[in-house]
Amino acid sequence: MVDLPSPSRAAAPVVRDSAFRVRMRRVRDLTAQILSNPATVIGSVIILAMFAMAIFAPWLTAPNTPDPYQMPRDWAATRMPPGTPGYLLGTTNEGGDVLYGVIWGARMSLQLSLVVVGSVLVIGCIIGSLAGFIGGKLDEILMRIVDVFLSIPELIFALAIAAVLGPSFGNIMFALAMVMWVKYARIMRARVIQIKNSEYIDAARIIGDSKLNIYLRDILPNSFTPVMVQATLDMGNVVLIAATLSFIGLGEAGIAEWGVLVSEGQAGIASGRWWASTFPGLMIFLWGLAFNLVGDGLRDALDPRTESSR
Amino acid sequence: MLDMTNRPSGLANSPATIASVRDLTVHFPSKRGMVHAVDRVSFEIRDGETLGLVGETGCGKSVTGRSFLQLLPIPPGILAQGTVTFHPHARCGACAGTGCDACNSTGRRPAACPSCTGAGCAQCNGSGAETVELLRLPEDRIRRIRGDRIAMIFQDPGKALNPTLTIGDQLSEVFLQHRTEELLDAAGIGPEDRGLAARLLGRLASQRNGSIDNLLLSLPPLRGKRNLLLDALRNNVAAALAETQIANPYQIIDRYPHELSGGMRQRVMIAQALACNPDLLIADEPTTALDVTVQARILELIKDLQKRRQTSVLYISHDLSLVRRICDRVAVMYAGRVVEIGRTDRIFRNPSHPYTRGLLHAVPTAATKRGQLMAIKGTVPELVDPPPSCRFVGRCPHEKALCRSKNPELAQISDEHSVSCFIHDAAGAADAPSFDEKTQ
Amino acid sequence: MNAMNDVSSKVDRRADDVVLAVRNVKKHYPIREGVFQSVVGHVKAVDGVSFDIRRGETVGLVGESGCGKSTLGRCVSGLSDPTGGGVYFGLSKAEVARLDTLLADGSAAAQAELAQMERRHRIDRLEGAAQRHFRRNCQMVFQDSFASLNPRQLVIDIVGRPLRVYREASGDALTERVVSLLEQVGLGRHHLYRFPHQFSGGQRQRISIARALALDPDLIVLDEPTSALDVSVQAQILNLLYELQRDRGLAYLFVTHDLSVVHHMADRLVTMYLGRVAESGDTNTVFETPQHPYTRALIAAKPDLNDDEGRTMQALEGRVPDPARPPQGCRFHTRCAVATPMCGWEVDDVVRWLESSKGVFDALEGVDRTNAFDAALRFSSEAAARNLASTLRSDAIPAAMQQALEDVTVSGGAVRVRFREVPEVELTERGPGHHAACLINPSHSSSGAN
Repeated sequence: MVDLPSPSRAAAPVVRDSAFRVRMRRVRDLTAQILSNPATVIGSVIILAMFAMAIFAPWLTAPNTPDPYQMPRDWAATRMPPGTPGYLLGTTNEGGDVLYGVIWGARMSLQLSLVVVGSVLVIGCIIGSLAGFIGGKLDEILMRIVDVFLSIPELIFALAIAAVLGPSFGNIMFALAMVMWVKYARIMRARVIQIKNSEYIDAARIIGDSKLNIYLRDILPNSFTPVMVQATLDMGNVVLIAATLSFIGLGEAGIAEWGVLVSEGQAGIASGRWWASTFPGLMIFLWGLAFNLVGDGLRDALDPRTESSR
Repeated sequence: MLDMTNRPSGLANSPATIASVRDLTVHFPSKRGMVHAVDRVSFEIRDGETLGLVGETGCGKSVTGRSFLQLLPIPPGILAQGTVTFHPHARCGACAGTGCDACNSTGRRPAACPSCTGAGCAQCNGSGAETVELLRLPEDRIRRIRGDRIAMIFQDPGKALNPTLTIGDQLSEVFLQHRTEELLDAAGIGPEDRGLAARLLGRLASQRNGSIDNLLLSLPPLRGKRNLLLDALRNNVAAALAETQIANPYQIIDRYPHELSGGMRQRVMIAQALACNPDLLIADEPTTALDVTVQARILELIKDLQKRRQTSVLYISHDLSLVRRICDRVAVMYAGRVVEIGRTDRIFRNPSHPYTRGLLHAVPTAATKRGQLMAIKGTVPELVDPPPSCRFVGRCPHEKALCRSKNPELAQISDEHSVSCFIHDAAGAADAPSFDEKTQ
Repeated sequence: MNAMNDVSSKVDRRADDVVLAVRNVKKHYPIREGVFQSVVGHVKAVDGVSFDIRRGETVGLVGESGCGKSTLGRCVSGLSDPTGGGVYFGLSKAEVARLDTLLADGSAAAQAELAQMERRHRIDRLEGAAQRHFRRNCQMVFQDSFASLNPRQLVIDIVGRPLRVYREASGDALTERVVSLLEQVGLGRHHLYRFPHQFSGGQRQRISIARALALDPDLIVLDEPTSALDVSVQAQILNLLYELQRDRGLAYLFVTHDLSVVHHMADRLVTMYLGRVAESGDTNTVFETPQHPYTRALIAAKPDLNDDEGRTMQALEGRVPDPARPPQGCRFHTRCAVATPMCGWEVDDVVRWLESSKGVFDALEGVDRTNAFDAALRFSSEAAARNLASTLRSDAIPAAMQQALEDVTVSGGAVRVRFREVPEVELTERGPGHHAACLINPSHSSSGAN
């Protein structure tokens, strides 16, 4: 049979291609559906602009300090209003270029949200899915730990950790990750339990497939939707919380971080120097808004109820 | 006034139909185009009959049924065309509802046209009967008809009953909504009474009472009357439940829906539907979710209540053997159209549309040899912007070129039996299909 | 090549082989209550069921919802383990006979032999190769074709999965095997790379069937496979199932509530009521001469296209009792139209009857049971107690129940009620291979019908 030049064998590579094509088409359809919502499109455009700003920051405004995340200081040009040549958005008390802070702040926010959300996504998904899938004692223990974490208000917990470890940007990231992983573990566990009781898991058991395979092929691929939506929303939220922590003085002084800039610029508002905190504040607002718009759009598009009807 | 209500036949020519559907067309927009869910459906429901509306999933039978009470989601649905005309009944004037010869002992007769008081005018098409265009009725008027003159029971009583209200509360709503005067009567308040007590009780009896009303009503002078009213309400509810042969209605009143079995919940639904003695009952697969043993009981109940009250029933179902048992006439729907309609015995003895034939042969019986069920090939077409052809094209064993280019109209083939298929064209055109000839 | 060997080895097996033997299977779910989740009782979903499935035959399993038929189907397919009794797979006819002797024999030697047999054949005791052998040979098709297919997998992955699990094929060979399976169920190569949601309900059920066929099993458990389908599509699927059975010698356990489907499809029929078998036998025999009043009630309630137009559907009174406290004697006696005094009337029947009558039940304060047949019912007033006692002596209660009453005494506010004690009704033979669990013998049953 192997030696026979059968037409089906000749056709096979084409056919294998089509599995890939079908999956790509599905991704394309899904993207099209997500982008059919104008709010999501607006959010996506803002996010793309922010990302571009973050990635191309060194080319947009060259750093003049050894640590590019430090705000530049130019004692010759302190408290310049927006529109001043060379300082489009004005300067701070210490003569830092607000535009520089806005652009490098975007890079910092991207770093922060990717690191924090990425790590809590991995930790939360592993713990949550194992608890849900294996169940029993393990589930019991893990969920009690989660309960302990959940019983402490998010912001206060982060505040406490950051306060104990000292004011630094790295500590804020660590504090946020400590606070947020439980939410992911919870969402993931609930979803895994729901999937575990679905009939196609029974169908896989009837075939005699191994637990590992069922976990990898049936449970995990079908469980990611809710955490992905949450992750998108949290990409915005972590920046907001980090800004809050920085604002109340747990951030590193003098860095190009939006929360720090708002905090440091607020003193000047009373004396009419609104720009130093307004522009970074606006960026925080846009960042949060954009991810919330996209997150909600994703939720609508990925809702399992509407998904099944497509 | 007296003269009119006492006229024996009441109306110039009292209509034999309780409702008629004309060219009903409902579209639903979808990504790929307009879905023609219901396509020029016409039929009538006669006074006191059970009309079965049968067809498979997606044939438009439920959409048709729901359109009677404006229960369709519009928008997104689009009511493209058509009318649903309803002839409501009113209390018989000759016997004041106790039942006499004039009203066939049902106590109800077709209501007279309000503009000509039964003489016959342009508005009522000369029939003298009140006609209501259900599809174009404003919200407040349709609400008065819903549950009162036309009632509906659904497939899943678990979903149709509110889980947070007791059975008694849900049934009370029907009476409070439609039977306010009777309840006030029971509390000793006549229609002309305008006192504070009457106003307060009136608000209670039509569910407009607020917390201040409740406070005032709980005070001694009004309490007695309020209790009379509530007792009347409770008795009405219990009587409605008892009608459905629930053994201990007063106990059921205080239960919540989840405490009852499926069959019991369906009885509560029926009690709710029939509480106000409707002229037309629309039953949308009322027994599909139930076991056969319970189903028989529910059907018996509907049949019995119908006989006593002369209620007309539109019975929507996918189950042919069931429809054959309980319906006087049957309309078979396929892909949004009525393909065959007629008296039950005619349709089942002499099914004359290829689809009806296919459907009847697809029902498994002991007599058919295993593996020999006559399955209809293919699947139901998607009704997105359908071409002008017979909808059964592609699945029909007798199809010809004519079927693919032209849409057959519903035409009478014998007394009380109409079919929409070119097979019955008298001319016998060369390209018309025939039962003797199978294509493919 | 592998598949070829399988087929030839299948031919060797004797035709009268038992594919699967169900012996006294019980599935009791604990009811837990309180802070410490202590077990306060058991829901007896399946309570001692035995039957065989022979090679190439279809056994229909019917009953109302909640009778335990789906639970039993899951036990048979190995999805859930029974809490009592066992499901035995791959025994020859002689071995089944031996098994029955061993099960009846309590001696130590018999128990040792039984334990050995169970290691090789009882599906919840299987290990390694034996378990793989069972898993390959017993497949299942579910009612909800949408829920039973992974929404993120393509048809080729779904249908090809069993082949991958048992390393039967991979790459192009796998694709070809899947195509041939799809063709057997009336689908084709162009369906390989589609997601389940792109199919109609009937087509999805075909995919489920193709998946079940992939390993060429001996037995497929069909759990309401056509209940969610329209009648014209149901006909297609039933025809397909029949053709596959004819060509491959498959055995089916067809779990359904639809008597018409079972009458059409099944060779043998098992009627279940409240976790137990009410009647079993050859399908035609059971339909023509049903021996259990419950089977008769089911048949009478079902409208059929072939009956006379004048025939009325007969409803069954009452509701299915709580499976946590199944009735004594015959479980059906609470709803049976022809119940006799010997059918297991008990104290619970009095309580049930009280619940449905106004006033008296409110006065009931408690029930002190000696056993299921003997108890004192305490009332708040002596009048209520006397009221009950006089009703029990009147003809307001079923005659059979009244005759079963051995004693009704009022003492103060309590009524002592004692019924005749009867054992649980066992299945008895009514004809060749035809069993029913009813006390009424055939000569009475014809007059007792309806």
